[in-house]
Amino acid sequence: MPGMTFKHGTPREWHGVMKILVCVKQIPDIERIVVRDGPDGMAALDISGDFRLNRFDEFAVEEAVCIKEATAGVHVDVITVGPEPASQVLKRTMGMGSDQGIHLQTPTNKDPGPAAVAAWIATYARPRGYALILCGSMSEDGMHGQVGPMLAARLDLPYATQVIALKTASDPTGLSIEREIEGGVREVLEIRMPALLTLQPGINRPRYPSLSRLLRANRQKFETISTDALEPVGTLIDCLGLVVPEKRRTSQVLTGSALEKADQLAAILKEKAFL
Amino acid sequence: MPDSVDIMVIGACTNGRVHPETYELLAFGRRLQALGSGTVGVWIWGEDVGAAAREIARRGGVQVTAVECSGLSHYAGEPYGKVLAEEIAAVRPAFVCAAHTSEGWEWAPAVAARIGAGCICNVDGLTEFQGRLCFQKDVYGGKVKGLFSPNTATTIISLQLGLFKFTPADRSSQGPVIHKEATYRSGRTRYLGTRQAAADTSDITTAPILVAVGNGIGNQENISLAHRLARCLPKAAVAGTRIICDRGWLGYERQVGVSGAIVTPALYIACGISGASQHVMGMRGAGYVIAINTDPRAPIFNEADICIVEDITRFIPLIEDACARIVNSIDQGSDEK
Repeated sequence: MPGMTFKHGTPREWHGVMKILVCVKQIPDIERIVVRDGPDGMAALDISGDFRLNRFDEFAVEEAVCIKEATAGVHVDVITVGPEPASQVLKRTMGMGSDQGIHLQTPTNKDPGPAAVAAWIATYARPRGYALILCGSMSEDGMHGQVGPMLAARLDLPYATQVIALKTASDPTGLSIEREIEGGVREVLEIRMPALLTLQPGINRPRYPSLSRLLRANRQKFETISTDALEPVGTLIDCLGLVVPEKRRTSQVLTGSALEKADQLAAILKEKAFL
Repeated sequence: MPDSVDIMVIGACTNGRVHPETYELLAFGRRLQALGSGTVGVWIWGEDVGAAAREIARRGGVQVTAVECSGLSHYAGEPYGKVLAEEIAAVRPAFVCAAHTSEGWEWAPAVAARIGAGCICNVDGLTEFQGRLCFQKDVYGGKVKGLFSPNTATTIISLQLGLFKFTPADRSSQGPVIHKEATYRSGRTRYLGTRQAAADTSDITTAPILVAVGNGIGNQENISLAHRLARCLPKAAVAGTRIICDRGWLGYERQVGVSGAIVTPALYIACGISGASQHVMGMRGAGYVIAINTDPRAPIFNEADICIVEDITRFIPLIEDACARIVNSIDQGSDEK
C-alpha cells in the first residue's frame, strides 16, 4: 500500500496544518540526448527541446500526495530551482495533487550545482516550519544525489537517504522508515520530525496528473523568487568537460539488415555453445 | 607529534573486522598522492577500534587515527556526519576519501555542507585535464562522464568500489596509530536493525544464461518477448532492471543491480537496457555480454562484447527465427549421419 497514514492524527506540534516540502528538478529527456564527438577528444551533447520532471522526484511528489490524502490538515508545497521554463514541472506536480509551487528562478540555463541548490532551498524553507521534506534520491542528469543530505545539514534536520518504506511510528512525531543498503538488505530506523528523506523508486507508483488539476494549475500563480536575490553560493566544483566512457569489452557492433544481424547473432550463440 | 594529513581516508570496521573497502580507499588515496603531493592518513570511528586500527597501520603502512566513539555501534547518517564533520574541520585535509556506499553517499554531501567543502559522489576515475586534477563520474544516465574539478580547500570524494587495487605495504613500514575520543549522540534517529527484503534471487544468480530487460521493452505485454527469447536458450532465466521491477512487470527477485542481485552468468543478453552504473555494477562479472538497444550511444554498449542497434520488440522475434533455423539445421545434420 503506497503512502502512509497518520494513524495517530496530525501531530499537534504543527497546529493543525502539517506542511510538507517536496524538492523537484526539471531535466532534459535523457533517452533523447544525442552524444557526439566534440573538440579535443571530448564529448558534446545535443539536448533536444524535451524537458520533463526528474523520474526520481515523481516518487517524492506521490508520497507527499498520499500522505495528504490519508491525513487531514496536510499541505504540500513543491519547490524547484531552475531557469524560467522549469516552472512547467510545478504544473505537473500540481496535476498530481500538490497545493502550491515555488520556483527559485535562475537567470541562465547553467546548472548551479547541488551545493547552491541546497543553500537556496534551505534559505526558503528555514522560516517556514516544514515537518517533512522529501526529495528524490538523485537527478537523472547530474546524478549527484547530494541536494537532500546537503539541505538536511543546512537545516540541521535528521535525515535518511534511499528510503523505500515510510509509515508513522508509535510516537506521533516519529517516522518509521526502511532505507536500502547493500545486498538487498534494508535498515530499519525511527526518525523524529521535522526530518528530511530522499526516496527510492519503487516506494510507490506515481500517478498521472489529472486533467482537471492540470487546468487549475494553469490558472494558478507560483511563488517565483529570483536566485539573484538569494545568498550567492560560489561554484565549489567545476565541470570541466564530458568524456565518452571507456569500453570495458570488445563492443563489436553487428552490421547489416535486422535479419542479417539476427543470423549473425544466432551464429555467435552457436559458436560460443550457448545454443 | 602526528603528521598533518592532506588526504584523509575514511575506513570502516565492524566488531574489530576491517571492511575491505578501507584498503581500496587507501589505494585510491595513494593514487591521489602520486598525482599531487601530501600525506595520506586513515581514520576509523566506532567502539573498540584499536585492533582494527593496528591492522590497517600494519597492512597499509600508513598513519591511522582510531576515534573511540562510545554509542556508535550502528551507523546513522545525521549523528555520524556530525562526528566526522568535527574531525575533518579540525584536520583540514585537501581530500577526504569515502566509499560510495549507502553510508558514504548519505553522509558525504551532508558533511561537505556542514564544513563548506566541495563534494563529488560516485567517482570512478582520476585524471588530469587542462592542468587540473579531475574526478570522473557518470552523468546523464551514464551516457557520458563528467570531469569535475574542485575549487575548495577541502573536497569530499565518494569512490565507486571495485576499481582500485590495494597492495599491502612492506613489513618494515608499519604506520603509527593515534587514539582519540569523540562523543556520538544518536539523538533524533533510532536504529532498529536490518531486515532482508523478501526476494529470493537464486533463480537469476544460478542461471548460466540471463535475458535481462530494461525500459526499452516499452510495455508490460512485451515482457513475454524476453520469456520467448529465454526459451530458445538452454537454462536461461529472465531478469530485469530496477525500473522494470518497480513497475511490477517482473518481481524484485529478478532485479539485477546494486539494490538487487549481483549476477555472473556465462551469457548476459541486455535487451533495451541503457546501462546505468547501478545496473552495470550488478552484471559486470558476466562471461559474455550481448546488448541490444536503439540508442547507439547507450552506455550498456561499453560493457558488451556484441552490440546490436535495434528495437528489441522487433528484433527478438528475428532472433527466435534465426536460432530456430540453426537448431533445425543441426538436427537435420545429425539425421544425415
